[in-house]
Amino acid sequence: MSDPIAAARADGRTLLTEVESKQLLHDAGITVTQARLATSADEAVAAAEEFGYPAVLKVVSGDIAHKSDVGGVELGLGDGDAVRAAYDRIMAAVKAAEPDAHVGGVSVQQMADPGVEVIIGMTTDPQFGPVLAFGLGGIMVEVLKDVAFRIVPLEPRDAGQIVREIKGYPVLEGVRGQPGADIDALESMILEVSAFAEAHPEIAELDLNPVFARPDGAIAVDARVVLAEA
Amino acid sequence: MAVDRDRLHRTLTPRTVAVVGAKGPDFGWIENQREFQGPLYSVQLDPNEIVEIEKRGFTNYLKLEDVPEDIDLVICAVPRNIAPSILSDAIKKGVAGIAMFTAGFAETGEEDGIRLQEAIVEMANADGMPVVGPNCMGVYNRRRGVKFHSDVDQGDSGNVSIVGQSGTHTINMTTAAQRAGIDVGRGISIGNAVVINEADYLEYLRDDPDTEVIGMYLEGLKDGRRFFEALRETTRIKPVVIWKGGQTTAGQRATRSHTASLATSSATWDALIKQTGAIPANNGDEVIDVIQALVHSAPPQGRRLALMAMTGGQSVAISDAFGRVGLEVPELADGSYEQLGEFFNVIGGSYRNPFDMANTIGRAGDSDNLRRIMDILAEDPNIDGMVYEFTANFFARFWKEEPGLFDEMMGTLDDFRTRTGLPLVTVMHPGHKDEDVIPLRDDVISRGFAVYQSFDRAALALSRVVAYREWLAAL
Repeated sequence: MSDPIAAARADGRTLLTEVESKQLLHDAGITVTQARLATSADEAVAAAEEFGYPAVLKVVSGDIAHKSDVGGVELGLGDGDAVRAAYDRIMAAVKAAEPDAHVGGVSVQQMADPGVEVIIGMTTDPQFGPVLAFGLGGIMVEVLKDVAFRIVPLEPRDAGQIVREIKGYPVLEGVRGQPGADIDALESMILEVSAFAEAHPEIAELDLNPVFARPDGAIAVDARVVLAEA
Repeated sequence: MAVDRDRLHRTLTPRTVAVVGAKGPDFGWIENQREFQGPLYSVQLDPNEIVEIEKRGFTNYLKLEDVPEDIDLVICAVPRNIAPSILSDAIKKGVAGIAMFTAGFAETGEEDGIRLQEAIVEMANADGMPVVGPNCMGVYNRRRGVKFHSDVDQGDSGNVSIVGQSGTHTINMTTAAQRAGIDVGRGISIGNAVVINEADYLEYLRDDPDTEVIGMYLEGLKDGRRFFEALRETTRIKPVVIWKGGQTTAGQRATRSHTASLATSSATWDALIKQTGAIPANNGDEVIDVIQALVHSAPPQGRRLALMAMTGGQSVAISDAFGRVGLEVPELADGSYEQLGEFFNVIGGSYRNPFDMANTIGRAGDSDNLRRIMDILAEDPNIDGMVYEFTANFFARFWKEEPGLFDEMMGTLDDFRTRTGLPLVTVMHPGHKDEDVIPLRDDVISRGFAVYQSFDRAALALSRVVAYREWLAAL
């Protein structure tokens, strides 16, 4: 799987899997939790051993939009036995909930230390081409739509401004004794995603959601790449 | 199409003009060019129209090709079905460019209109012909005397350029700006902008040495990406004030990511403004208000203002207006307060900033007190600029009767801004008979001051200019 975009094109897909999306981002130097596709419990354990524990398993299926709703996500797996058991549980749960879904396996990754959840994304504006979005992530992005935009490519000052423009910025600075997020690391990641979008005109949409904004850096724990129609 | 910059320049700064299709009853398209500084020709086939055109003193030819010299600008006002043949004639003649008033193209949504427009675009692009429009009021060049309306000024200066997607807004902004003492030298009504688009005009004006400030009215963008890049470059050199009309609906489409579902056209337009340092405006008045502050006051170096009002009520209102937009009304330096305390009448007045001055300065030319206040403020390190309110509702009649008082006051204000280099803008509410107030306002304008009809408009304009200066300073 050396070129995820070519692989997706060959399959006639425009939606890349999480594993493919993260590989692209990782190759571009963007900090993501690396993920590997496992098609058996043995492969899942092997990948978890390599990445380190605790591990996370997520079902890989183009037919399932919300993985956790169907029992397709298992968090905080502490050893090989836990991974093996989780693999079997995911397969059974998904089969029960979505019997017709095509399931390609699970993605295996190390569970990242939590931080403030933010989203860094890109979409193609009909007037301006690629635009980058930043906001609070997870549920917040859907409910509050506290998101700011900039046209790609961003300059460093744009990255500084977009982070501070959202209403939730004080959360990133740290409130009620919570440690603040590493704002410099977030700004760097925003500029890396801008450069990534600029280098890949064939990508129409991109979500890094969530990104964990931690006191010691930022890491994307889920990612989705959508290609432009070929 | 790659724009031929030399041809576009000749189109917008013509030395020869031919008007095709001028007709009665008013022959406006050629009459508007009566003061054009160069050879002007009419091209018209209709014998009845020709009689009147020639009676009015214009030279008429039956075809463009018959005109005995090179033509920089053709103003085309023929019906849409004939427009392609005029374009074809212009191409054969080697005309530099065309401003096409002719309407009835893609903007109608009709098949015929769309087809005709496509034909025009194809011919123009093949030739490299810059077409302004179609469906537009065309070109205004103050120096050359080519006009898109009879009432725009003519002269040998002009440092502000106005570009608009609507002919009405472009002309209104031009004439209103000129009434406000703004020296608009160029106006371009860009219409459907299918051959030369907003990015092309912006790039041209970015490089135009005569243009120091650009005002734009835009609805949608033909080439958003290039406009973004051109805008980012231009604002570093000269301010660009943009009034965006309408919301585009092009953003309505299926999406598969959170990011895409959140990116509305207004969100991306906001991004454009923030990222490029363009100055946003919500309407044509704001465009002119901002340009007044840009061209008629020194660039502000900070947000701290001395607010000079005549009465207590006004001094509260003015503080509110400027505070709301993030400008500051600071305490003055201790030394200033000491000096002011020596003569300022604090009964029914205040010098804390804002100033409530009427009881101290009278009709503003009666005594030396206004000058004394200004001398103190000129040395105060706590202020970055001044707003001066005239309270014309009380004083207009006095100043009309004794113009010397008004002259003395204006002289004091002029000395202050010259000596300090600080921005000074003025406010004159229309709270009296128009016949008394308007001559005063025109007098203030003629002395090169920005004058606003409300505190809020002055505050908004100044805040936008301050934000632009801050944006430049942080580059």
